[in-house]
Amino acid sequence: MAEMEIKFDVNGKQVRVSAEPNKTLLSVLRENLGLTGTKDGCSSGDCGACVVMLDDRPVNSCMVLAPQAEGSSVVTIEGLASNGELHPVQRAFGETWAFQCGFCTPGILVSCYALLESNDDPTREEILTAVAGNFCRCTGYQGVVKAVEQAAAEIRAANKSGGGS
Amino acid sequence: MTDSAVVGQWTAAPGAEEIVTGKARYCPDIQLPGLLCGKLLYSPHARARIRKLDVSKAREMPDVYAVITHADIPGENSYLYAEPDQPLLVVDEVRFQGDAVAAVAAKDERTADAALQAIEVEYEVLPGIFDPLEAMKPGADPIVHGEDNIMMSKMYRSGDVEAAIASADVVIENTYRTQWAEHAFLETEGGVGLVGDDGGITVYSSCQAPHRDRMQIARALGIPESMVRVITPYIGGAFGAKDEAHVQIHAGLLAHAAQRPVHLIRDRRESMLTHVKRHPMIVEYTTAATKEGKLLAVKARVIADAGPYTNSTHEVLNKFGEFIGGPYKVENVEVEKIGVRTNNPITGAFRGFGAPQAAFVYESQMDDLARKLGLDPLEIRLLNGVETGTKMYTGVVVREGTAMKASLEKAAEMIGWEKRDQVEREPKKHLRRGFGMATILKGSGLGRGLADHAGVVLEMHRDGSVVLQSAAADMGQGIITVMAQLAAERLGIDMSSVRVVRADTAKSPDAGGSCASRQAMVSGNAVLEAADTIRDTLLSLAAGKTKIEKDRLDLKAGSLTVDGERHEISVKDLAQRASNWGYPLHAESTYQFEYPTDVPEVTYRYSQEVFQFCTQAAQVLVDCETGQVTVERLIAVHDAGKMINPGGVFGQIEGGVAQGIGYALTEELIVDEGHTQNPSLENYVIPMALDIPQLEMEVLEIPEPIAAPLGAKGIAESPIIPTAPAIRNAIYDAIDKPLYELPMTPERVLPVPDVSD
Amino acid sequence: MSIPEYTAPATLDDALGIKKELGAEARVIAGGTDLILRMRDKVFSPSVLIDLRRLSLDGIVLSDNEMRLGAFASLSQILESAEIERLFPALPAGCREFAGPPIRNRATLGGNIVNASPAADLVPPLIAYDTSIVLTSSDGDRVLSLVEFFVGPGQSVIKPDEILTEIRLPVMPPWSAATFIKLGQRRSMAISQVNLTTRLSIDESGAVSDARIVLGAVAPVPMRAVAAEEFLLGKELSEELLNGAAQKARAEVTPISDVRASHSYRLEMTEVLVRRALLATWDELGRNATDG
Repeated sequence: MAEMEIKFDVNGKQVRVSAEPNKTLLSVLRENLGLTGTKDGCSSGDCGACVVMLDDRPVNSCMVLAPQAEGSSVVTIEGLASNGELHPVQRAFGETWAFQCGFCTPGILVSCYALLESNDDPTREEILTAVAGNFCRCTGYQGVVKAVEQAAAEIRAANKSGGGS
Repeated sequence: MTDSAVVGQWTAAPGAEEIVTGKARYCPDIQLPGLLCGKLLYSPHARARIRKLDVSKAREMPDVYAVITHADIPGENSYLYAEPDQPLLVVDEVRFQGDAVAAVAAKDERTADAALQAIEVEYEVLPGIFDPLEAMKPGADPIVHGEDNIMMSKMYRSGDVEAAIASADVVIENTYRTQWAEHAFLETEGGVGLVGDDGGITVYSSCQAPHRDRMQIARALGIPESMVRVITPYIGGAFGAKDEAHVQIHAGLLAHAAQRPVHLIRDRRESMLTHVKRHPMIVEYTTAATKEGKLLAVKARVIADAGPYTNSTHEVLNKFGEFIGGPYKVENVEVEKIGVRTNNPITGAFRGFGAPQAAFVYESQMDDLARKLGLDPLEIRLLNGVETGTKMYTGVVVREGTAMKASLEKAAEMIGWEKRDQVEREPKKHLRRGFGMATILKGSGLGRGLADHAGVVLEMHRDGSVVLQSAAADMGQGIITVMAQLAAERLGIDMSSVRVVRADTAKSPDAGGSCASRQAMVSGNAVLEAADTIRDTLLSLAAGKTKIEKDRLDLKAGSLTVDGERHEISVKDLAQRASNWGYPLHAESTYQFEYPTDVPEVTYRYSQEVFQFCTQAAQVLVDCETGQVTVERLIAVHDAGKMINPGGVFGQIEGGVAQGIGYALTEELIVDEGHTQNPSLENYVIPMALDIPQLEMEVLEIPEPIAAPLGAKGIAESPIIPTAPAIRNAIYDAIDKPLYELPMTPERVLPVPDVSD
Repeated sequence: MSIPEYTAPATLDDALGIKKELGAEARVIAGGTDLILRMRDKVFSPSVLIDLRRLSLDGIVLSDNEMRLGAFASLSQILESAEIERLFPALPAGCREFAGPPIRNRATLGGNIVNASPAADLVPPLIAYDTSIVLTSSDGDRVLSLVEFFVGPGQSVIKPDEILTEIRLPVMPPWSAATFIKLGQRRSMAISQVNLTTRLSIDESGAVSDARIVLGAVAPVPMRAVAAEEFLLGKELSEELLNGAAQKARAEVTPISDVRASHSYRLEMTEVLVRRALLATWDELGRNATDG
């Protein structure tokens, strides 16, 4: 047997892929599912370009074998927006110039999204720690801090006014 | 800043939404029916002769569509545009670990790997030469390439250095060493080649110079350039390494051989082993000065380890020599520039292009000089700093030099230079705090005597929306945003109405390479000229309709204005009118950077004349027992002329400083007998989020008088240049130990001289 | 090129059965952050990968004065445990400096142990807390002291049919404190140049009743500086005493030179960091005393 069937949830949708067991989740997302938003920067877990949410935690998808995602829920950069609306942190990134070439951005955005899901008022140190596994060569991290602070403020305001639909 | 609607405003990049949603496509994301996986077989040896190369087994494998060696290259087997002495695929002698020997295209990655394994290569490993000082000696063996290991040896002299040295009160001599540095852009090198029905080749290339790529791909395939098209998708960083060709030519060759689309993407390890690095340099540097600290002469001898192939060694050493005197008034200069071939990693362009190495030398020496004379490091720099009207030793006259001293004074103010001795210097027994600064200059543009131009095509549609076609490669530095802003500003529309088509040689005129901090200037000016043509048409129509003199009319924020006041006619109305009545709103413009001719004789070849001045100051904390250096504060004061895109400018500064901190303290490719020991992001240590202090940045906006669109000049390179010497000088201040070698790792910082000695 | 089979057994017995049959040909994959790399580099080419994700071997349970950790507890889970922070703070201290958040969400304590890297960050704190581990096979459990597990770089005493299932830390005696220090080339995503944990326990008279000085990345295996530990026993704490212990520790290590650090730097740093860690542990003991 070479390929095996793997079922999991990506961005809220059930998928079923056929892949060799030593194929990574990153490869399956990009090649089998055409979700090329998540990037491969090093294939060794050192750069964070491949970060996705796996069962509510950010992980390096190049360091997860596809079958290890069986029955799990995965959220990629393509799944951060909801109902066509960008997540506040996605919008904030554009406004604060938190990226330039953009290659690290999907991974960093998912790390920031993960932080904001559990902490709507992060300190600068907490933000930098959240992206301590994400490597950006173009822009550094000050714009990221500003973007996350801006998004956090927006999220807090929405929560206060009874947010959600 | 005036009443600009768009220029100078913080505005999101045109591609922002694509990037934050993951829709932006880079070379590895391009999906095509039947796309094959291409790979290169690289030499594991630094020097070897190929005794046997048999690809027949690989070719016979199922699902392998092409296997090529040098014998299968239809055109020229070379790349590099300046001096094409690097083979695309090695013929007989491998000259560095990373020389490519064969290329395959197969159904998928696994099959491509298997095909590489099936290629039979017999190497006769030969002794290589790895020390440039040895390699340059007469009779050195082996000769790496061509006739001589000395690739270039040039001497430049201005004034009378020997006499100046003889008359000086103080003469300081030091030898400096810098390391191989790796660009570590996040998207590795990639190319996607495909063949059209008429035999034309299209290559999606992660590159900095699409037209140059086109020329080289055509040359390798032996076909006319008209049959080649190069498109840049999104590019994930470059910093100079993608200026010269990397895998895109091979991608074209494979697509041609397989007659199917092929993508060739290097993995990180391959990337670190095979693409160009920053030249390591050994610099003997002599400074002569009066006891008041006035510079009399500067003498330098630089030996650069170029690796085996020429690439941009001449140009990098040219820039090194042009700036080795620093932003200072000094007339007597001698610089001997030697580029040496070895079997070490290949070298090439890297942000700064010789200037970071030069700055480490001249700014470290400035502090040594200040110490020797008992002068304040700030004062000695102010004493010697260039001003508007200063004639450099190269003969170039500084047209606008206010920023030099202004940046020094501002940086000093921001770091608290005058009060630095009131800051706690020894917060713990083993910790020492220090302050240092460095001030630099860098030129924008390719240099006097070189053709430096860019073209652009602009078209406005009947609804006032605009398409801008430029071949200026945007690898993150933001030229697309800058061009959109300039077009929007001139045509009185907003950014969202400007669509910039990414570089495509079939659609846009040559813009030259994105390098030398030049695109904002040349492409920016081309955009303004093209926009002015369209603007003129619109205003002529407006004048006709309103019966108001054209010189009272303008376009702003979507409307016609009369004497600055908003009129009811909109830009869209005018565009519609033009379209209805057959007035083309289409312009193509090529901007040629012209150097002023009314200057006294410029003696330095390819000298630049649009200068970026910049000062950085650092506050460091040195752990005297471990040698670790923490950068607590970093002040960066940059001279951008005028900011068109503030977000991009601050991003460039921060990114450049982060690279500078790495260059200063931790980044180093460790090469042993030509073999890189740390070709991974794990062991090539780049500072990450917790390692970089909160930068304090300031941009001085002193308009550039020669070339700049709306006063702006390039700012891309200067941020990386002063960081290492600023940190070095801060370390010197903290522990009383001058360092002369990069990077300043803990092992080089130790031992710390005992204060009680 | 071999592609392994992958299986996620429903019970531990199933997993152990596979191990019994295939031995080292079957490798357990936990977080995978090390194993996947080694497979890519062809250091390991197992024919079967056993994934224990269905077995919930990630418990964190305090019972009978002993903290029992499932081998598959991720470092993030360790960091989320208030009890571990209270009772064994050097362990989460080590976790906090380990790589970065995405890796911590996958990497497991068991994985860090079984890899048997001399530079494993979490092993010195565990040894300092007198950790024992449970190696399980279809023949039953084998419990041994963690410090005895390692025999060389990448080599341990684990048998081909065994799986590391549990990690046990005895609650320290009162008047104990421990300190973790890591020396790396940057503050995240760094492999240790030197890492270590010191633990001191004192009796009512203030003399050292127990000492652990455990070092990583300075020998073929994580090691206790036994002579330095013995030197401290029964003595009153003083700066001079701790300096002496640090000097002794330096004499016990056998570091190599590699791309991260030279042999002599590691020797030097052993002394510097052992001294700092011991001083910090002493300081912590004093703080605990005044808190009490």
